[in-house]
Amino acid sequence: MELTDVGLVARVLVDDDQHAYGELVRRHQSSVRGLLRQLTRGDVALADDLSQDAFIRAYKNIRSFRGEAKFSTWLYRIAYNCFREDARKRKELVGINEEQWQAEQDPQTVDPGLRHDLMHALSLLPLHERSAVLLCCQNGMSHDEAARVLDIPLGTVKTNVLRGREKLKKTLAAWGS
Amino acid sequence: MNGEMEQDWLDKKLQEAAPYIEDDGFTARVLAQLPAPQVRFQFLRPFILVAASAFASALTYVLSDGGRFIIVEMFKITTIPTVWVVAFALASGMLVMAGGIAAAMSKSSQIQS
Repeated sequence: MELTDVGLVARVLVDDDQHAYGELVRRHQSSVRGLLRQLTRGDVALADDLSQDAFIRAYKNIRSFRGEAKFSTWLYRIAYNCFREDARKRKELVGINEEQWQAEQDPQTVDPGLRHDLMHALSLLPLHERSAVLLCCQNGMSHDEAARVLDIPLGTVKTNVLRGREKLKKTLAAWGS
Repeated sequence: MNGEMEQDWLDKKLQEAAPYIEDDGFTARVLAQLPAPQVRFQFLRPFILVAASAFASALTYVLSDGGRFIIVEMFKITTIPTVWVVAFALASGMLVMAGGIAAAMSKSSQIQS
């Protein structure tokens, strides 16, 4: 019988069982890497580096997992924090930030080959809306779980998802016309 | 209704646009970077507990003049009036019951939230 995530976490806690942790990594690597690829706007190498950091950090801090939320929610929160810390560092080092990137992107001047690409439309959303849409619409999280991951109030998550969805629809409609 | 359908369509498309990412050695790379497991002496734990209990018992026996205080206290208990014993048992029972109810209410409110 396959062990649940909590059962595997218990094995890691009690026996320091790295095979059990390996199983957890195998189970969640796709969703975590996928989320980070979207957050980094398709930078696969960076997303994989951040995913590795997130899994290593999760292992080191596994004692702080209390089982109040799902393991995946706890893991996403760590992954999101890794992404934010990295984005902050990059902003300080290179001087590129979210607003600047946003300003440079004009939906009307996007490469025609990408016009119908939903993921490209998603990448045009501001970070707070993009993360909320990714977690709730793509990863199927509840608003409450997304609020835990993003560490923002529940109402803000709902607003961000709503606005993000509206903007996506508008962008796709504009490209379609 | 139309808005809901559009929403479902968008969510479905977003989910389809996120294919499963093959592991391709990712898990192995993560495991290779994990800190080495700490050496633990867990097998010693029961021995330590038994030894500590035995030592504490022996110390208590010696310091209490062969456990004489137990006999004295037992004798005192036998002199307590029966009504007091019944009242004490009743109060203890009610206290435990109140604790149980409080724990159950707290748990049920947690589950509901």
